[in-house]
Amino acid sequence: MIFGIKEKSIILTNFDVLFAIATNIHVRLKTGFVLQVAVQGTVSLQCSNVRRGFHRAALLRLASDSKSDTSVPPPSYHEVHTAGESSSSSAQGESSEDAQPNTSFQDQSGEHGEDYETEEQLQARILTAALEFVPQHGWTVEAIAAAAETLGLSSASTGMFNNGAGDLVLHFVAQCNAQLAETLAEQNNQVQLGQAEAKKTAEFLKDAVETRLRMLIPYIDTWPQAMSILLLPHNIPDSLKHLSTMVDDIWYYAGDRSTDVNWYTRRAALTGIYNTTELVMVQDSSPDFEETWAFLDNRIKDVVNMANTAKQVQATGEAVVQGLMGAAITLKNLTGMNQRR
Amino acid sequence: MQRAAKCALRLDLSRAFCLSRSGTVVVMQKSLPPPRDEEEKAMLDSMLRVDHAGEYGANRIYAGQMAVLSRTRTGPLIQYMWDQEKMHLEKFNEILGEHRVRPTLLLPLWNIAGFALGMILTRIACLLAFEGTMSCTVAVEESISEHYNSQIQTLMEAEPERYTELLQVIKEFCDDEKKNRDTGLEHDAESVPGYLLLKTVIQVDCKAAIYILQRI
Repeated sequence: MIFGIKEKSIILTNFDVLFAIATNIHVRLKTGFVLQVAVQGTVSLQCSNVRRGFHRAALLRLASDSKSDTSVPPPSYHEVHTAGESSSSSAQGESSEDAQPNTSFQDQSGEHGEDYETEEQLQARILTAALEFVPQHGWTVEAIAAAAETLGLSSASTGMFNNGAGDLVLHFVAQCNAQLAETLAEQNNQVQLGQAEAKKTAEFLKDAVETRLRMLIPYIDTWPQAMSILLLPHNIPDSLKHLSTMVDDIWYYAGDRSTDVNWYTRRAALTGIYNTTELVMVQDSSPDFEETWAFLDNRIKDVVNMANTAKQVQATGEAVVQGLMGAAITLKNLTGMNQRR
Repeated sequence: MQRAAKCALRLDLSRAFCLSRSGTVVVMQKSLPPPRDEEEKAMLDSMLRVDHAGEYGANRIYAGQMAVLSRTRTGPLIQYMWDQEKMHLEKFNEILGEHRVRPTLLLPLWNIAGFALGMILTRIACLLAFEGTMSCTVAVEESISEHYNSQIQTLMEAEPERYTELLQVIKEFCDDEKKNRDTGLEHDAESVPGYLLLKTVIQVDCKAAIYILQRI
């Protein structure tokens, strides 16, 4: 079946029945908005494969126009003529060719484009764009769809995201953490070069957590929704991983090189501080979140106090033990038990 | 994908410096190459974690032994071996801090278990035969050298050029442990009746410990 659609819009229909044939679909959007769909035929009776292949096809590969001419696949491509007769005949005939829509689509385009972006890169681009629509649509698939449309893609490209809103929130969290790591590394660099003073641990932690939480300010109204998405069971492993990476980064740049149980207690303490401060922040209505920063300050002071107290207790305990041992030896001497006879 | 890139970024940035607690900057030489991907990082992490926990445990075992033997004639020898283990532990502490490897969660348990093992086994050996006080040492050192050997094999099979420095460190430690074991053997460690039983118990313990440590 040869399609020539000379319209400005792309018509997406349900291909369950008709497009059991199609596997490889190349979409080139020429300047005159002529859409040509070239179908390379192998029978794939899996509808999901087809739908996904078509979704992929419906996404514009944002290669340049000049590249679109070279993106024609090599002469092995041919047009399948009718759905009916080819559905059975091409099953046997072309079964030797690729049966996977995804990989062969990418393979063929990978041959031709140096600036072909991977699916992951495309997903990242869509999600980054979707962040702009979050205040309007919330952390939902609608935001992703709106972003896809601004990028010139079809809103059906949200099908790429199996986790929907979860993907969006996790992408945002990962982005913020990467930004934080960069900032901390930059500051560390400056201290190393002697251009800045090294901060004390408490101050460093406070600044790092504040920097990270400030990244939430543009989305603070919808952040409770995001937090609840992160708490969904299938998102918990990923969100915990992001959280632990972030806390590890902060402690590393704060200078923690401990290799004993302190490694765990410090990170646990900072995780607690971060989570509670985040919760305070979402219901804080003071100007520029002053109350949140005050809360953060107090919590960090608490932790530092506790650490100091623990050290003092340990020192006192050791002194007491030594005192007791001394008393025991004195007693043994007095009673003569220490003599070797 | 992002995590691997971040890993590489973090390690590259920490390549030339690390910040010590007092705020001064220390330049450290890296003994590991920055990991290529998640898998390699996971493998190296678990190897280093096990090694670190092993040295920590050995440290505590020697402490336990010294608690029993410090006033006997093998005391100074055990003290010497203990000091060597302390050096090994320091080196691993450095490597762990440098490469942001998580230490094992079981360290407090290791603390107590190692000390208890050293003390109890030495007392048993003492009861059986005074010369056999080194038997515990010999058994432990043998298990540890075996473990290091298998790690060296793994690294060599993977890519020897990539891990030259780490291989050097491990080989050095392995040789130290072998030397300690030979010293122990010279001191008639094997003359303890039930030495084989002791050795088997310790070897099984070590294998179980390594298995657990690789995961936790």
